[in-house]
Amino acid sequence: MTASVDLADFLPAYLAEVEELLDSAHRHLLAVEASARRGAAHPKAVRELFRALHTIKGLSAMVDVEPIVSISHWMETSLRQADQAGGRLPEASVEPLMEGLRAVEQRMRQLASGKPAAAVPSGLLERLEALESSTTAPGTSRPVAAVLDETLALGSKLTPTEREQLTASAGGRRPVRVDFIPGAERAAKGVTINSVRERLAALGDLVKVVPLSGPVPGGGSLTFVLLLSTEAADAVLLDAAGGEPALVRPLAGEQAPAPVPAVSTPARLDGDLDEEPEETRRGSGTLRVEVSRLDEALERLAALVVNRSRLQRAVADLTAAGAPTRELRAILQENARQLRDMRAAILRLRMVRVGDVLERLPLLVRGLRRATGKAVRLELDVGDAELDKAVADRLMPALVHLVRNAVDHALESPEERRAAGKAPEGLVRLACHAQANGFVELLVRDDGRGVDGAAVAKRAGAPTPRTEDDVLELLCRPGFSTRESVTATSGRGMGMDIVRRIVVDQLGGELRMETRPGVGTTFRLRVPLTITLLDAIVFECAGGRYAVAVSCVEELFEVDASRVVRPPGGRGVALVERRGQAVPLVWLERLLGQGTAVAADAVPARALLVRQRGELVAFGVGRLLGQQEIVLRPLEDPLVRVPGVSGATDLGDGQPTLVLDLPTLGASRRSGGGGREERAT
Amino acid sequence: MSVLHVVFKVDGAEYVLPASNVLQMESFNGATPVPGAPAHVAGLVQVRGRVIPVVDARRRFGLPPVERSLDTRVVVGQLGSRVVGLLVDSAREVLKVDPGLFKPPPPLVTEGAQGFVKAVAQVGPRLVMLIDFPRVIGEETPDGDAGH
Repeated sequence: MTASVDLADFLPAYLAEVEELLDSAHRHLLAVEASARRGAAHPKAVRELFRALHTIKGLSAMVDVEPIVSISHWMETSLRQADQAGGRLPEASVEPLMEGLRAVEQRMRQLASGKPAAAVPSGLLERLEALESSTTAPGTSRPVAAVLDETLALGSKLTPTEREQLTASAGGRRPVRVDFIPGAERAAKGVTINSVRERLAALGDLVKVVPLSGPVPGGGSLTFVLLLSTEAADAVLLDAAGGEPALVRPLAGEQAPAPVPAVSTPARLDGDLDEEPEETRRGSGTLRVEVSRLDEALERLAALVVNRSRLQRAVADLTAAGAPTRELRAILQENARQLRDMRAAILRLRMVRVGDVLERLPLLVRGLRRATGKAVRLELDVGDAELDKAVADRLMPALVHLVRNAVDHALESPEERRAAGKAPEGLVRLACHAQANGFVELLVRDDGRGVDGAAVAKRAGAPTPRTEDDVLELLCRPGFSTRESVTATSGRGMGMDIVRRIVVDQLGGELRMETRPGVGTTFRLRVPLTITLLDAIVFECAGGRYAVAVSCVEELFEVDASRVVRPPGGRGVALVERRGQAVPLVWLERLLGQGTAVAADAVPARALLVRQRGELVAFGVGRLLGQQEIVLRPLEDPLVRVPGVSGATDLGDGQPTLVLDLPTLGASRRSGGGGREERAT
Repeated sequence: MSVLHVVFKVDGAEYVLPASNVLQMESFNGATPVPGAPAHVAGLVQVRGRVIPVVDARRRFGLPPVERSLDTRVVVGQLGSRVVGLLVDSAREVLKVDPGLFKPPPPLVTEGAQGFVKAVAQVGPRLVMLIDFPRVIGEETPDGDAGH
């Protein structure tokens, strides 16, 4: 047997699928809870939740993860009762179900990290079982439910090959389930499981025989379920199984009315045995692709883009040398357009819906509600906005921090809110709008107490800030916390620091804050749609080549040396007039720390105008080499993950070229003097 | 059972690294410096489509710089999910070493080498030093020298 090898092969797909189902289960359980709190039923969500758990159970049985099979089985059982009660679930049932989902999730994580799934936590199954009996409407016959459980459990007894055999409906065959109930009477007539098995095998492909124990309608306690793929008519099959009380039920397509009415009523929940995967049911041809494959496609495109710029240079040289290159240039232009289209297509592939990314936030808020005792409502208004997967993955922790802060710090207790004349329930709202030139804006707004700038300054030991930007600056200081004591959910004093690092340093975006005392606070995050492919300005500086994203440069201008002003005692900081204001002019060479002593009064020929935390700064550069499309490779290794460098790219010479993040570079070098060089040995 | 090791030279001394930790050896055509990176990082190089940081072994060992030559190599090592290059004077040999030959380095070596040498082995007439690769490239911290 190669069971372990098989498991390893299936595991990634299994984990991915169950993770998706868990998300759906969480979502629907939250919806059920919301209805339960209003005392209303939510049959659709109950059914979806049931469906998710049922599929999780089936998949887990296939890869033989017993603890998850048990947990999902008992959750499913209690949900069946809820469904029979018209989609009504007592509010008290939600927590054990939540606990069940958490237990499944934990085991998924264990499997993902190569460990075996832990046994079911003690007491959990009992609590779930207790739910079942508590939700059982009086009069519902227990045996029927038990038989149905077995029906569903059948799905999990099949190996993938058997499943395939059963559902491969070649040549007019269809999958059929025949229930044979043995008995002394029938055995006397020569109708035994052996004879039935033989006769059915002659009528089609007998895939599996599963004995089931448990009370059956006939009064016995044992049923043989024979699963086969056949073209024979139901009547023929029934005859082969010795006639009534045997049952013949088709397994695919339209479910034939089951002969026993008691069975057909709750049967609406039972997925057909040949469960379609969730995707095909959702239809509309969705495909799940591993990110690594998308990355690979992007790498290939990167190589093409690089090659094109080489080609372009070669043609330019030819042209300069007087060669007839008109046609070549036309082809090159066409090629450029094709590459742009290709790039757009690949970018679209990498886009995920913001709504999907935020799927977990309601769950987070629910947990916070319980932990803080505050009444909170989360509103998501994200429409159809999309983001590159890489951006979305990085952004998520920042959003979690902001939402957590909003509930934990910003929102008042219901009593405080009432006293302030507000609705007792606090509101956290997350909105998302696509913006022009490749940016997306996300807003995290709360209607809490607002940020008290003076108090923040006092705590930070800084002078009272004048603007909201200054307050934010203080909040984002590493280690800053507005809380006296560390609470369970936040107050570790690292939240905003991390948020800014993600939004500004990692993603090259912008973070702003608007706050009004007593009214609430809004955090505004502006992040690029994608961080992998971008238009860049390439220039030379201090003998090296660098690139910078076009999107972060407001303007590129020639510096008129006669108009550069040097305030006395400004340590060489020059000012240049731009857009009617005095803008600091910084030699990029000095910031990069590799300039061989630039004369103090030298003036760069060109400068890039950049907005740095809302203020304009001009960075003096050497020669401009042009604008081109680049593929950004983030620098993941801690040795080279430095503020101000967003990654590297290949401009076609086989050497990495640094892609600078000028706003961060300027800010980090100005405030901390770089920090790193001093400490390094 | 002897284990394959890659041998490389820095300032005349011979060091080894288990071959299983080495992805490849590349000649060196210069690295792109990264401003703000630790001083022992020579910069970035591109190796088979991948951008990796390169640690200058001489600078790391506190040795004077030399002119790079045709012999200069980047030993590309794998450390968990990280891939980091080590810039050495030369590297052209693979040597089978019986793990039993490795002895703890004499205290004097330990101090002088700041813990970069994990063990020494006498292989025939030669004395080779097994380097502590994670330590040389600077473990988890970007500075890599938080420990001393």
